[in-house]
Amino acid sequence: MKKVLVVFSVLAIAAITSLGLVACGGGSDDSDGGEGGGEGGGILNATYNGMPDYLDPALSYTAEGWTAMNEVYIPLLTYKHANGAEGSEVIPGLAKELPKISNGGKTYTLFLRPGLKYSDGQAVKASDFPFAVERMIKLNSGGSSFYTSAIAGAEKFAETRKGKISGITANDKTGEIKIELNSPRGTFENELGLMFVAPLPQDTPIEDLTANPPPGTGPYYFTKVQPGKGWENARNPYWAKANSKAMPELPSGSIDGAKITFITNAQTQVDDVEAGTQDWMQNLIPADRYAEAKNKYEGTQLRVEPTISNYYFWMNVTEPPFDDVKVRQAVNYAISSEALERIYAGQLTGNRQILPPGMPGYKEFDLYPYDVAKAKQMIKEANPSDMDITVWGDNESPNDEAAEYLNDVLQEIGFNTELKILNADNYFTIIGNETTPNLDAGWLDWFQDYPHPNDFFQPLLAGESIQPTNNNNLSRYDNPAVNEKMAELNEQELSPETEAAYAELDKEVMEEAPWAPYGALSVSTFVSDKVDLDKVIFNLTLGQYLSSFEFK
Amino acid sequence: MATDPQPGAAAAGGGRERRGSEAGPWKLALRRFLRNRWAVAFLGLFVLIVLFVLAAPLWADHVAHTGPNRNHTLEKLKVGDEVREVVNIEGQPIGPQWFEADGKFFLGADGRLGRDEMVRLMYGGRISLLIGLSTAVITTALALVLGLLAGYYRGWVDSVIARVLDVIWSLPVLLIGIALGITLAIGGLKLGPVEIQAGSLWGPILVICIFTVPYIARPIRGEVLALTEKEFVEAAVAQGAGPLRIMFAEILPNLASTAIVFFTLTIANNMLFEAGLSFLGAGVQPPNASWGTLISDGSDLLNTQPLLAILPGVLITLTVLSLNVVGDGLRDALDPRSKVRLEAHTGMVEPKGASV
Repeated sequence: MKKVLVVFSVLAIAAITSLGLVACGGGSDDSDGGEGGGEGGGILNATYNGMPDYLDPALSYTAEGWTAMNEVYIPLLTYKHANGAEGSEVIPGLAKELPKISNGGKTYTLFLRPGLKYSDGQAVKASDFPFAVERMIKLNSGGSSFYTSAIAGAEKFAETRKGKISGITANDKTGEIKIELNSPRGTFENELGLMFVAPLPQDTPIEDLTANPPPGTGPYYFTKVQPGKGWENARNPYWAKANSKAMPELPSGSIDGAKITFITNAQTQVDDVEAGTQDWMQNLIPADRYAEAKNKYEGTQLRVEPTISNYYFWMNVTEPPFDDVKVRQAVNYAISSEALERIYAGQLTGNRQILPPGMPGYKEFDLYPYDVAKAKQMIKEANPSDMDITVWGDNESPNDEAAEYLNDVLQEIGFNTELKILNADNYFTIIGNETTPNLDAGWLDWFQDYPHPNDFFQPLLAGESIQPTNNNNLSRYDNPAVNEKMAELNEQELSPETEAAYAELDKEVMEEAPWAPYGALSVSTFVSDKVDLDKVIFNLTLGQYLSSFEFK
Repeated sequence: MATDPQPGAAAAGGGRERRGSEAGPWKLALRRFLRNRWAVAFLGLFVLIVLFVLAAPLWADHVAHTGPNRNHTLEKLKVGDEVREVVNIEGQPIGPQWFEADGKFFLGADGRLGRDEMVRLMYGGRISLLIGLSTAVITTALALVLGLLAGYYRGWVDSVIARVLDVIWSLPVLLIGIALGITLAIGGLKLGPVEIQAGSLWGPILVICIFTVPYIARPIRGEVLALTEKEFVEAAVAQGAGPLRIMFAEILPNLASTAIVFFTLTIANNMLFEAGLSFLGAGVQPPNASWGTLISDGSDLLNTQPLLAILPGVLITLTVLSLNVVGDGLRDALDPRSKVRLEAHTGMVEPKGASV
């Protein structure tokens, strides 16, 4: 009996001791995400549904890529850290102030702020800017056309890939950067604010550095990239030491870093954010959860962000059957914005033209009201020689459903179609490569780079924008008269007259119907209950800023 | 032609059956199979599933009045006095209507494209079964040929074939399968006269066959190695029969039971493989449906329309289960000595009529 009592006592003491240890707990709990909080600090656990197109500032041309890098690479000019239209204001970045424009609008002079450093400790030099521009051109970046058409000598450099761009001079001693343009360009300040031309150290390799991104000048930097799994950011050690002092108007950020995990299933992402194991999901809430999430969390953990964007189907105008304008117009008649609004679960607002609502120059019209019977009749009359079409889409819902919708519509009006749904990680790279066969028609989206209508014309519809790789003019539309008008309008400052001219151009291009546009998207910022939603800033061009996330 | 009269008995090293029994070996096997109630029941279930998917065109034409890939996003359904949207403005598809709309959208719509789920389930089953069946035929045939060659010739022939199979066996099946599947889906394949169109069903069929062959070829090779030691093979050699005649006329018939069992089990395995590939986007390509793609599509709507993912999953489960039980039953019926060996080994006593 005594032995039993002893054993029982020992067991009881052990149990009580264990319970006591558990109750006291220890340290921060990793399992429910978002370590730290209160007065700042902590690691933001965030999820993307896959790798952005690139994690290389010279190459990335997607909302996902720019959101991932907007606090790592700062160009000479940048955008104000503000929501809505205010966030489209261009402000000095690495440059001391906005450029001095002279010589009839053809010469831009800027001065680099002194004392700036990259995240690896190298000093930022004025000559790093022309290096970054040349690197971007050599890499055949999708953004090249902004600069090859604008900067004197850039087009020749793009052809020869040798020497330097004659139109850019930089003085490392004084920090002066002078850019000569071929002609005045109303959008050039905006284009200097894009990450394509963010200065980089001159030992940066001329290759895609997604797996090992180059050092940057922003408040955060990439510490680890695992393709297929995610990446991590930490505070740039040289931000506090040097850059924040040189750029006091740019925020340093509350969080200490971020851990981004790829979760391909959007349902799981929503579940994780609701549970708090993830603090933020970058991509869209899936359609069947959107209404529920909006009702439950709007204002507390969810905020709807209207965007200036265009979702459209492109058609290759250089190959049959879409080399016939009647066929392209017929496709436009056969597409229903209302159907696509349902496919996007109410997150899309119908739009049937090049410019989206909210963009200067937008004036609503609809040249092709939904009429399938008319579309069929037009196809019959056009009698195209090639009735076989390959339709392309990416596998991110509901874009894949939009592509399936186009596939079905084309079959309905008489075509034989083959649908190819590609992984979203590679979609733009594959369809932007001219060697990919059968690029007949497909899905695409475009979000504004800056609040100027040229952004929806030149990179997407100008002849000079057609590139062998990273091509964005997937229709391969090249109308000399339209090209000339685009160039002419782009030289002018935005005014009511210019906006009216862009509205006319919109209609003119839609009469040729290289696209079948269908709507503008609203995205959402959806965070866990640990994050202060009101502090998160969504920039119309760059997405959510990492520095604006703050734990409650 | 000398054959071992009891199917599968060669593996047990048995001799000829006594001439005194009236029924032949196949009839005996059939009787043993029919005594296995579970196997018969699941065979019936499998037949029902096959009939279900074969009825797809009838249902599509005469009940649902739509095809498997036709979208109905904007359509409205009249149910009595009520008008219901197939897909509402929030993107919610209509749920199961059963027979309220005369059989249209019996199981509801499949998602925001508003396709009839019942029609897609039936057509999807045709594709899943077609792929399962065709890959099983190809795989079994290929495995028999490779197993025969390796087991009969031995030496360097055996080494080469065995090493190739080992290499395939050692590859990470799903990863390579996905990569190959996606490549074939996008670019197709052209190897001399052989051409596989991008997105064609031959893409996933090829991938599945490549990775399944080793699993059958190796055991068949083992059986052939044993069979080549038998007296009837020696006798054939003595009579002047050539290698091809010996392999295909003497040894192959003795592999019949093994092949039949592997065949049924392979259909099931390959259906699962296809479902996995299609779920991951590397198998059947949209807008076509298979049960795997339907599970993938349905997983986006698990919270609001769980049936869309559950139903194809249940059908895959029932089909695979049926084939596995039937395969086990066939094995017991064709090679009852395998049961005797198992009982002797484990000391287990099986009730009469039950399969192991």
